[in-house]
Amino acid sequence: MRLVSLLLLITFSSLGYAAGGAECGDYGDCDEFDARLLDNSSLQRGLNTFINNCYGCHSLQYSRWGRVAKDLDIPESILFEKLVFDPNAKSGDLMKGSLDKKASEEWFGVAPPDLTLVARSRGSNWIYTYLRTYYEDGSKQYGVNNLVYPNTAMPNVLEYYQGKQILGCKQVPSYASNGGVRRDADRNIITEEECGHLLLAEGSGKYTAAEFDTIIFDLTNFLTYVAEPVRADRERIGWFVILFFVVFTALSYLLFREYQKDYH
Amino acid sequence: MSSMFLKVFDWVNHRLPIVNTFERHLSKHPVPKKVNFWYLFGALASVVLIIQIVSGIWLMMPYENTEEGAFASVEFIMRDVDYGWVIRYMHTTGASMFFAVVYLHMFRGLLYGSYQRPRELVWIFGMTIYLVMMAEGFLGYVLPYGQMSYWGAQVIISLFGAIPYIGESLEVWVRGDYYISGATISRFFALHVVALPLILIALVFMHLVALHEVGAGNPEGIDIEKHVDEDGVPLDSVPFFPYKVLNALVGIGVFMIVFSIIMFFFPEMGGYFLEKANFEEANPLSTPEHIAPVWYYSPYYAMLRAVPDKLGGLIVMAGAIAILFVVPWLDRSKVASIRYKGIFSKIALVLFATSFITLGYLGTVPVTESRKLMSVIGTVIYFGFFFLMPFYTSLEKTSVPPERL
Amino acid sequence: MSNPNTTRRKVLIGMTAAVGAAGIPFAATPFISAWNPSAKAKALGAAVKVDVSKIQPGQKIQVSWRKQPVFVIRHTAKSLESLGQVVAKLDDPESLNIEEPYRGINNTRSKSNEFSVLAGVCTHLGCSPKYYPEMESKPWDSSWSGGFFCPCHGSMFDLVGRVYKGVPAPTNLKVPPHFFEGTILTIGEDEGVA
Repeated sequence: MRLVSLLLLITFSSLGYAAGGAECGDYGDCDEFDARLLDNSSLQRGLNTFINNCYGCHSLQYSRWGRVAKDLDIPESILFEKLVFDPNAKSGDLMKGSLDKKASEEWFGVAPPDLTLVARSRGSNWIYTYLRTYYEDGSKQYGVNNLVYPNTAMPNVLEYYQGKQILGCKQVPSYASNGGVRRDADRNIITEEECGHLLLAEGSGKYTAAEFDTIIFDLTNFLTYVAEPVRADRERIGWFVILFFVVFTALSYLLFREYQKDYH
Repeated sequence: MSSMFLKVFDWVNHRLPIVNTFERHLSKHPVPKKVNFWYLFGALASVVLIIQIVSGIWLMMPYENTEEGAFASVEFIMRDVDYGWVIRYMHTTGASMFFAVVYLHMFRGLLYGSYQRPRELVWIFGMTIYLVMMAEGFLGYVLPYGQMSYWGAQVIISLFGAIPYIGESLEVWVRGDYYISGATISRFFALHVVALPLILIALVFMHLVALHEVGAGNPEGIDIEKHVDEDGVPLDSVPFFPYKVLNALVGIGVFMIVFSIIMFFFPEMGGYFLEKANFEEANPLSTPEHIAPVWYYSPYYAMLRAVPDKLGGLIVMAGAIAILFVVPWLDRSKVASIRYKGIFSKIALVLFATSFITLGYLGTVPVTESRKLMSVIGTVIYFGFFFLMPFYTSLEKTSVPPERL
Repeated sequence: MSNPNTTRRKVLIGMTAAVGAAGIPFAATPFISAWNPSAKAKALGAAVKVDVSKIQPGQKIQVSWRKQPVFVIRHTAKSLESLGQVVAKLDDPESLNIEEPYRGINNTRSKSNEFSVLAGVCTHLGCSPKYYPEMESKPWDSSWSGGFFCPCHGSMFDLVGRVYKGVPAPTNLKVPPHFFEGTILTIGEDEGVA
């Protein structure tokens, strides 16, 4: 046993180096996103945002309309009336999108990727951060650039929601070499100018910053759902399976102890 | 009614050794009465093998072994097949758990000298199982045809290119194409679902037959057959059934709790069991930023990267696995169990395990200057453990194990 | 070795075995369910629409629903009248032996008084019967009054798919769910189900 604990100790101390490369590019670590997969109204708003702003270019080719309607608790008649623009689409159809891949490759340089699994390949945190870190950059084709994904090929589709964001300088608390916040004689925090911050031109968009964050939250929530529609089910069923094995293990342990008396 | 049953049973038993086999391998098969949890991993490995076979058969049904259809068919399983996700997660979790269990099982062997006389063949069959499992795991990982499937396979198949003269044409031959295409997928599929499982089952059978011939070991590393009763049954043994079966049942229960927690709550295991890049369909024109093998190969991958030469890396990697086969002849100790071995063996084992785990970590992260140095040190320790074994095991001072369990 | 507590052992064995056995159906569920038609199969098996206005009286068209033949027959007034005459030859003229979805609405067995909608699969062993609307002597029946004849095992059905006596087929041809909207026939759904 001593040997095992020694091994564990050495292992963990040897693993203590940081992984290289920030997850969200120039932005650093991604903003934290905690999915709320049971919140149907958030998912419904996310679906709505997706269909109206993203679905023109991005498909969800492994997902079916009827499944989304059922999982998000939307009556199919309403889904088809409000969100399905293809009159020939049926409930069991895949959400293949309407964009011609070849043509779009000519427009954008790359075909807009299918987004069914983006929350699993990029991660939900990444999406949540990426969509909120566009900024004005006149040198780019669409006049915008992105902190998380520099030189992104996608224009800032949601700019009319968010407003104009620029990369600028602002006053931030300055830190002493010991890590503490520096203060002057009156205990006021000493600030210094730091550049590279995202600054939003207030009132230039349809929504406030907080409202926009909620919109992106709902959208990310929906993309998280659609990347793995069974996740809520999986976790629900998981509890029962674990409970079952706990009971089974407890009983078999008692049985094992009972029989152990024969030779102990 | 019951006499009728007995008659039929008798009839069959005269033609098929049911009672004999049951007694020989279960109800009268003697196993050491005092062992610890390390001795459960063999049983757990067979449980995972069964899980893999059953879930694998079911995955085979909706899976499509074509270049165009493979990736989509996996998403089809995850979404459109009723409970398909349960079956797939069972298989992906099972793959990693299989290796986890087998690594612990192998470590038990090193810890208590399970490979020592007369169990050399048991060890060799076991190592062959491990080797086949690695091939099986690799082939299976290619099948979803995601980015990591593609580029992982690209790297592994390119290793064949290191073989002088025939390397390049061998690569093409293995792929059956100039890139990893539908031709590659369908041959890997056939090997993964039919050929290697058949070999694996045959090897597991031989592993168990050889084990039952020589009997199971114990953490004291002593021979329980030295003290037997008038019927020749070792005094320190109990029948396998029901005693060890019940013991295994508890182990299986605990294992299944762990298995379910991973399968239902962390099926991706933070990208170690299902890698992020594999949720993107294979694209032969774009390499993902960071390629890492699945965790169970990563120690060898780190060794490969530690050697600044293509052929040299391949030889080191192959040697790291090959050397495991001869461990029974490297260990010259008078005792089997680490409990009675000397200080050198203890230090060597701790260093070895640490280097293996560290290499495993290094194999999953991008290379840097300092990490490369650590990989070199880890590789040297890994090989040092084996190459120096004949010396430190024969020179060190061992203590005397007890006579009885 | 002390005396084992046999009652405790029996109870524990019983409980462990019961819990273990209770787990079997749950463990089997995913494997059994995985054989159900997938969402893709269900999507491909969705209802089909067909315009029936082009069908001439006496004519039969064949529609594929779930890759199964469905017969749509537009009856002539004469053949509708003749339906009563074959009753003596029929095994189950009122379709009492099967689940008849639109019983007692029309003598066509469908939701229309002019068209019959029949699953074109013989209830014997699954062959597809052939349509012989003519009222004339046939090798299998000298007084044939129109209907379906199955080439596989010789089962006979009348014009609305009712089975004859003395043939291998046990029941009448099935009527699939359907509804009419003007001249558009939808097969695979009852009206009202979206």
